[in-house]
Amino acid sequence: MDALISPLALYIACALGAVGVALALPTRGVSWRVPGAILAAGAAGLVVLLLSLRAYDNDQLPNVYFYVFAALALGSALRMITHPRPVYSALYFILTIIASSGVYVILAAEFMAFALIIIYAGAILITYLFVIMLATQAPVEGDEELQADYDAQAREPMIAAGVGFVLLAVLTTMMFNGLGSLTPRSDPVAREQLVLESLPIKVDRILDEAGLLEEDERVGRLGGEGVSKAAVNIEHRTIVIENTRTNTTRSLTPEQWPEDLSATNTEMVGSSLLVDHPGAIEIAGVILLMAMLGATVLSRRQVEIDEDAKAHEARRLHGTEAS
Amino acid sequence: METMLTSLIDIPSLLSVASAVPALAPDTAHAGGGAAPVAQPWVALIPMLPILGVVIAAVCAIFDVRSKLPAFLTVGCLAGSFLLTLAVFLHYDDFNHGAPFVVHLFDWINLAWGDPAHPTTLAANFSFYVDKLTVLWMLFVTGLATLIALYASEYMSHDVGRAYCRFFAAFNLFVFSMACLVMGDNLVLLYLGWEGVGLCSYLLIGYFYKKPEAVAAAKKAFIVNRIGDLGLALGIYLTFVHFGTLQYAELFASEQLQGYLAAASEHRWSDIPMTAQGIALLLMVGAFGKSAQFPLYVWLPDAMEGPTPVSALIHAATMVTAGVFLIARAYPLFLISEFALPTVAWVGTITALLAATIGMAQFDIKRIMAYSTVSQLGYMFAGLGMLTTTGAAFHVLTHAFFKALLFLCCGAVMHGFAGQLDLRKLSGVAWMKGWGIVAIGMLVGCLNLSGFAFTAGFFSKDMILAEAFVTPGYSVLGWILIGTAGLTAYYTFRVFFRVFLGPQHAEPGDEHHDDHADEEHTDETDAHHIAAHGHDGHFHPHPPGWAINTVLAVLAIGSILAAGLYFIEKDSHGWVGAMVHDSSAYYHSPYADHSDVAHAEEGAHTGLLFGQDPHKIMYYVSGVVGLMGILLAAILHGPRGWQGLFLGGRTEAGKCRMDSVARLFGPIPRWAEDKWYVDELYIAIFQTPLRVFSHLFHLFDKFVIDGIVDGVAKLPGALASALRPSQSGQLQGYAAGMVGGVVVLLIIVLVVIGGAS
Amino acid sequence: MISSLVTLAQTDYPEAMGALTLAHYLFLSAAMFALGIVGFMTRRNLIIMFLCTELMFQASGIALIAFSRFHLNHTGQTFVIFVLTVAAAEAAMGLALVVLLFRKRESLSTEEWAEMSG
Repeated sequence: MDALISPLALYIACALGAVGVALALPTRGVSWRVPGAILAAGAAGLVVLLLSLRAYDNDQLPNVYFYVFAALALGSALRMITHPRPVYSALYFILTIIASSGVYVILAAEFMAFALIIIYAGAILITYLFVIMLATQAPVEGDEELQADYDAQAREPMIAAGVGFVLLAVLTTMMFNGLGSLTPRSDPVAREQLVLESLPIKVDRILDEAGLLEEDERVGRLGGEGVSKAAVNIEHRTIVIENTRTNTTRSLTPEQWPEDLSATNTEMVGSSLLVDHPGAIEIAGVILLMAMLGATVLSRRQVEIDEDAKAHEARRLHGTEAS
Repeated sequence: METMLTSLIDIPSLLSVASAVPALAPDTAHAGGGAAPVAQPWVALIPMLPILGVVIAAVCAIFDVRSKLPAFLTVGCLAGSFLLTLAVFLHYDDFNHGAPFVVHLFDWINLAWGDPAHPTTLAANFSFYVDKLTVLWMLFVTGLATLIALYASEYMSHDVGRAYCRFFAAFNLFVFSMACLVMGDNLVLLYLGWEGVGLCSYLLIGYFYKKPEAVAAAKKAFIVNRIGDLGLALGIYLTFVHFGTLQYAELFASEQLQGYLAAASEHRWSDIPMTAQGIALLLMVGAFGKSAQFPLYVWLPDAMEGPTPVSALIHAATMVTAGVFLIARAYPLFLISEFALPTVAWVGTITALLAATIGMAQFDIKRIMAYSTVSQLGYMFAGLGMLTTTGAAFHVLTHAFFKALLFLCCGAVMHGFAGQLDLRKLSGVAWMKGWGIVAIGMLVGCLNLSGFAFTAGFFSKDMILAEAFVTPGYSVLGWILIGTAGLTAYYTFRVFFRVFLGPQHAEPGDEHHDDHADEEHTDETDAHHIAAHGHDGHFHPHPPGWAINTVLAVLAIGSILAAGLYFIEKDSHGWVGAMVHDSSAYYHSPYADHSDVAHAEEGAHTGLLFGQDPHKIMYYVSGVVGLMGILLAAILHGPRGWQGLFLGGRTEAGKCRMDSVARLFGPIPRWAEDKWYVDELYIAIFQTPLRVFSHLFHLFDKFVIDGIVDGVAKLPGALASALRPSQSGQLQGYAAGMVGGVVVLLIIVLVVIGGAS
Repeated sequence: MISSLVTLAQTDYPEAMGALTLAHYLFLSAAMFALGIVGFMTRRNLIIMFLCTELMFQASGIALIAFSRFHLNHTGQTFVIFVLTVAAAEAAMGLALVVLLFRKRESLSTEEWAEMSG
């Protein structure tokens, strides 16, 4: 397959985007922020438009909310890197996070979407805001002149934007060239089978709610003592149901498969995480512990007392004790 | 006398009883071929006793012995060596039925490699090869060493202390090295001894290491000897490469060498490969260096900076004859070389003449003796080249005696006259009280050296001179040598007449004695100096003591008696001839019939002098020439009155007829006094270009090499300072660099890999 | 088209997603990443720079999730968890450092800290 969109258009768009971003970056004096932002947005829009036209031909348009969230994410990201005030930057970043989590939802990653909002918007960004407030003098509203120089003035915007957008051009070129040869590689059924098998009580509940279970009946358990796997087969959509009293079994036909008997995203992610990457979890835990310790040690305020003061303090304490 | 000695030192029988001593256990498993190993391990004591002497001297130095103890222990050790040598000589026929034998001490170098069935072997063991040549050499080496050590015990007495010990340690080490050189059964051991004597020579010339001239002379001797040693080393390598062995016994017995000898005797030179012929030329270079032959003789006169006993022993009697020994020992190798022996003869003759002319014009008596040594060594080489090893060896022997005697007499003079060596400033020493033995000794030595009739020097020199006319092609050399003999007689008696006869006069030298190496004794010796000589300008010479006088007397008698050796065993050309006859120097010589067993009839076939057999007529010719030289010296330098046989006209120490005669020759005497500017020539030819080159190379090194090195070293620095601005410390700069790098890598991936697919 | 307006999901979950659809999400990811880089290189405030690194993390997260959806494999989502972990750790450490540095110089400018300059 050829490149998804014309390379020339892509490069022009990248160049325009670079100019736009460079213009939008904070400077003292005459501000080109709005035209720059428009230019950048136009460039991004051009690429997305071309992509979508191509996708429309192949009936592979993304969900319409993608456009909403993408515009929101990119716009707030641009605003975040161009806003001269750190607090606003952080807040725009929260917006980016929210838009991203919207994209996650579109992409059927509900758990991660909410986890993202909770962790990023809820925890990390709040920390940022704390630090920003700790480390920045509150500026007077509207008075740009009082802005700290390092916030008001971007550093070499043209070069940085040039480098960044060359990278973007290269990355997108590579992606668009390579996507044609990309095919889905995974079998989702196997994972879902694994998840459902390991959740017999959930299966019991769903079957019960669907009215498929009679008294003393439950889904069939496979495996020996201590191991209990649900006797479901997603591929053939069959379920074995056993009667605990009479010790008899019966099968449900594929037609009887309850509509909502499927693994949720959370369950799938959890399974993937715990079954496939247990070591990584441990490492992540250690990283977090070390970060916690490091942050504690680093941010501890060093109390500097000279010898005289120490002696004085000791005498004072001693005297207090004695008296 | 002989029987008494034999019974006194019947050491073989003594030691055969005590042969169970483990250290001296006989080693019958010696691998060498040819000469059979003989279980006479006590022979090894000959070189080992001097080593014991080294140890003793070192121990004395450690305990800071301030007496003559090390000297007397040294004399004891050396006398032991001499007596053992004498025992070997007396019992020689008992050991191996009169044939050469090998005494194996221990394995030193014993290698085998290559094909296990037919390995290439290199055996150079600590073994001693004893034949009559060895015995002859060791006899006079150890004998003279003993006497001179005794002499030195008195001569060096002002240095008693550490320096005294150092002197005798080096002295003993020298005798050990010389013994290795002479007795070694292979060329490697000879080389060890060769370098050892060179080292000791260096150490002893530089004994007065606070005197710049002595240090310079030591260095000069060492460096000039390097040139010769290189030749010797290459010769030894070549011997091994060509003959595959370095052991004399194997080498001389090898069929290869025998074949070459046969070819050489028939003058089929082209049948002998050039490598085999080259060996002798290389060995010859080594011999020239050690024996101070032209053009490598320049170190020997300067070597007189050393203490006089050293000059006598090392630089007159023994070490400088090592070259003669080497050629005599390796004579078969020289016989198979077409050009080696003629070269030796020519070089020897040229050296003899050159040194004699220089000696004529010198004023320093020790230097005159040095040049006469060079000159006499030239005679020996000429003798070797003219195929009379007997003559050469005989001359070595007689020369060892009379030259040692002459040197020791000069040393006595020097010792007594506060370092005065200028013959213009000394006169009538013979008439001074206590100098009689010195004067007689000097007279004996001078007569020998000048070849006065019926002295030992007369016979030995004649043997060489006659051979020049016997061996075809050398008569020109013969005439030159005869002329040189006249010159020798002149300059020898010039010294005698000026220093020992005439009006009594003595100016002290500027030193109290020889220099003293140890400054710690300065006060002491100064006090002694003042006490002995007074400090009011009136000079009292102090005559030699008993040790010096004894040694001089023994040597004088020895020099006279040496003449008798000529008449012993007359059949084989005297005692020395008999000694040489049974050694490698005589080894199957194809010219033997023409030269060494030269009878009148055969001589008549080969050469004539005044229509007579050279061997007979030479007695008269050289006797007359010698007398003429003495007469000339008497006329030109002799004192007035009966003392000068009514011929001389010298009334003062510094003035003689020679002064006016010399003017007739214009600048020539001046040139001769300046040694024909040979040193200057060497400086101009070798030293100056080397100096210029070394300066040039220094500049090259400094600017080009160092420039390159420094440039290379500066390159990283320059690179770093060029790149340093990129290390701005700004985080964003690094980030930009990182992103840029990623971009470049991605572009490469895109263009190269993506473009390819 | 209409259905896509009413449902938030791209398609029903087990249904495959087209490569062209994926391209949109990847472009979003790449653009966000580029913005993050530009921000990191231009802004001189240490905190904003850290925010920009977080933005880059986000961009990578979107790409991971998009591929996860494309391949119907949850490992991508799992990795976003780790990305979040690292981001959190980095934020903790980084902000601690920022506080420390701010205490020393009373400034958040990176140019204050150029002691490693050659």
